[in-house]
Amino acid sequence: MKDVMGVIYTGENDARLRELTMTRAIAALPVAGRYRVIDFLVSSMVNARMRNVGVIMQKNYHSLMDHLGSGKEWDLHGKNDGLYLLPPFLTRENVGVYTGVLDALRSNTNYLSRSRQEYVVFSGTNFIYNTHMREFIQYHLDSGAEISLMYTRDPSVQREEFGTYLNVGEDGRVLDIEKDPTKPNNDATFMEVFICRRDLLRQLVDKAVAHGQHDIIRDVLMPMAATGQARINAWEHKGPVWLIDSVQAFFRFNMDVLNTQTRRALFPEDLPVFTKVRDEMPARYGDSVTCVNSLVADGCIIEGTVENSILFRGVRIAPDAHVKNCIIMQDGQVHSGAYIENCILDKQAVIKRNARLIGPDAYPIVIAKNVVI
Amino acid sequence: MMRKKTCVAMLLAGGQGSRLGILTQRVAKPAVPYGGKYRIIDFPLSNCTNSGIDTVGVLTQYQPLELNAYIGSGAPWDLDLTNGGVFVLPPYQKGKVGEWYRGTANAIYQNMAFIEQYHPDYVLILSGDHIYKMDYNAMLQHHIRHGADATIAVREVPWEEAPRFGIMNTDSEDNIVEFEEKPKKPKSNKASMGVYIFTWEKLRKYLTEDEADKTSSNDFGKNIIPKMLAEKQVLVAYSFAGYWKDVGTIESLWEANMDLLATPMPIDMHDKKWRIFARNPGYAPHYIAEGAVVHDSLVTEGTEIFGHVEHSVIFSGVTVEEGAKVEDAVIMPGAVIKRGAVVRRSIIAEDAVIGAGSVVGEETGNIAVVGFGVTLPAGVSVAAGQQVDESVTF
Repeated sequence: MKDVMGVIYTGENDARLRELTMTRAIAALPVAGRYRVIDFLVSSMVNARMRNVGVIMQKNYHSLMDHLGSGKEWDLHGKNDGLYLLPPFLTRENVGVYTGVLDALRSNTNYLSRSRQEYVVFSGTNFIYNTHMREFIQYHLDSGAEISLMYTRDPSVQREEFGTYLNVGEDGRVLDIEKDPTKPNNDATFMEVFICRRDLLRQLVDKAVAHGQHDIIRDVLMPMAATGQARINAWEHKGPVWLIDSVQAFFRFNMDVLNTQTRRALFPEDLPVFTKVRDEMPARYGDSVTCVNSLVADGCIIEGTVENSILFRGVRIAPDAHVKNCIIMQDGQVHSGAYIENCILDKQAVIKRNARLIGPDAYPIVIAKNVVI
Repeated sequence: MMRKKTCVAMLLAGGQGSRLGILTQRVAKPAVPYGGKYRIIDFPLSNCTNSGIDTVGVLTQYQPLELNAYIGSGAPWDLDLTNGGVFVLPPYQKGKVGEWYRGTANAIYQNMAFIEQYHPDYVLILSGDHIYKMDYNAMLQHHIRHGADATIAVREVPWEEAPRFGIMNTDSEDNIVEFEEKPKKPKSNKASMGVYIFTWEKLRKYLTEDEADKTSSNDFGKNIIPKMLAEKQVLVAYSFAGYWKDVGTIESLWEANMDLLATPMPIDMHDKKWRIFARNPGYAPHYIAEGAVVHDSLVTEGTEIFGHVEHSVIFSGVTVEEGAKVEDAVIMPGAVIKRGAVVRRSIIAEDAVIGAGSVVGEETGNIAVVGFGVTLPAGVSVAAGQQVDESVTF
């Protein structure tokens, strides 16, 4: 799949993720013990042998740049192509702040035109999934459609007044697209991933921006599907998928990964998920530890009790500390005698001796980065 | 022309390590897994990177395939450089002459052209046999300060063990006055660690002379060092007091793994300023299931534990099924311990499968070993000290 490039847009609205996205894009949100949201997408692309991946950044992109670096961990550091980080910049044509996907693509038109691949897979970063991107690409090449969209029939990613839903005909053709309906009429949720020819994408973007349009779904895809002026097809991703659009959704995704069947479906042997390596030693368990139903990364030192939790790299759980239903990000610490339940600790958060912190089941407490309690 | 390097490291990784038994049937000793996620060679390579030595030749000979693949471009150790980096150096044909490495000194002699490319002032000689963290740059500064021709790293061993080592007798200024290989009555307890720094000009001369001497066995310890001493060259000892463990036998490899479970750890593996780098297999974090027990152990990525693990080192991609018990054991990457199996005082090599209800090892006695890729049937026993490879039938 040398002939397909990837473009990833990371400028999504993240208001409902609150403190978690205060200093980072959704794409850079730490998940599942050692990853960032974007790792799953970039790995899917790399596993399909795509060699040119551009990441359009908008705000708070420092942690994303730090994470992706030269692209080495994804083998995207070649001489030809590789990983391109595309931060916003100001020129006569470029306003620096993108009003949406169309605007962002228009501002990065140079990158699109100097790339050599015939096709582009475009994706947002609201969804987490691990897919055989090669099958999606092959589907598109075989179907003869101008554009192919990726969708899922998993009802857990449907939202009231949010999301794009497709009416997919028996031949795979998209007959109708609805955006942000109160109650969707279709059960196929568009996963914000599409593929088309690179020159077609450039034309569509130019034309739409020239007409003052901002919304790629409403202004470009919807009219195309409605008028039938171009053929839009859809391909179903059948594996697990999550929409990370709120603190609760983020929490639920992490907890779902504790399920062994789900975890094996998200991390199949033939689709490894690559991420930045930290070179920590294996996790170390003390002699009176209770640790059950938990996901634990390297560098952790566990001496207390851990239940139904996700521990990122370098987390310390002291003797007599008790952690239940929690997500503790990189280098978090829970000191002796503390009890925490239904909490999300952002990076380097510290829970001091004997502190008690219990969030309600449906609404975990978020402790921001570097906070000491 | 290559840019000049002050110091080039040469890592002798060609030995079979036959005392590791079936663990080195398929791989060279430096490629043997250690400590949950490392291989032995990660220690000298990481020490080089952390010491600021960025040009390393790795001399391979025995079963080099896995070692070559593991080293690759050198990226995990930041040794994928334009100017310098890590190079795998197998023996090769030179004109009409082609030969295997005959000894440690001969291996370096055969690669003089590699070293000369960098016009180094000093050459560091390492082996891939030990677990330790050492600042080679501090040793190099010691070498320079003393105006030495050769510096030999030494550590103080218990006096009663001294007769097993190459012992350096020194004066009060660290000058080596005598070298005794396995002395019956040791005058000192400073044992050579097999880590040497030579002033390159001197070493080149001695290697060339040694090669011309048909009676020589072309070995640093037996030939080069004694000859330099005899000819009154400046040889100094550099004392190292940190953790240092030879992992040349099944028992010592097992012990070195168990050392990582002691509190405090005798070797600080959490030091962010001196990380031990390793190639990362790219798995999800490990999972400890409901009902599982994990005590006093190291566990790493991609592993799933449903059973009971006590005082063990569990590598990546391992499965310990429900009702299985693992105690005082080292379980290498990809191994599967089936339901109801019991593994004690054992090393289970990569991708081995221990059948349901089988018993490997005993509570006391020597370490049992199940070799690479061996599938042990259900309900069999492997005694203490027994080594099971593919040739063993049940």
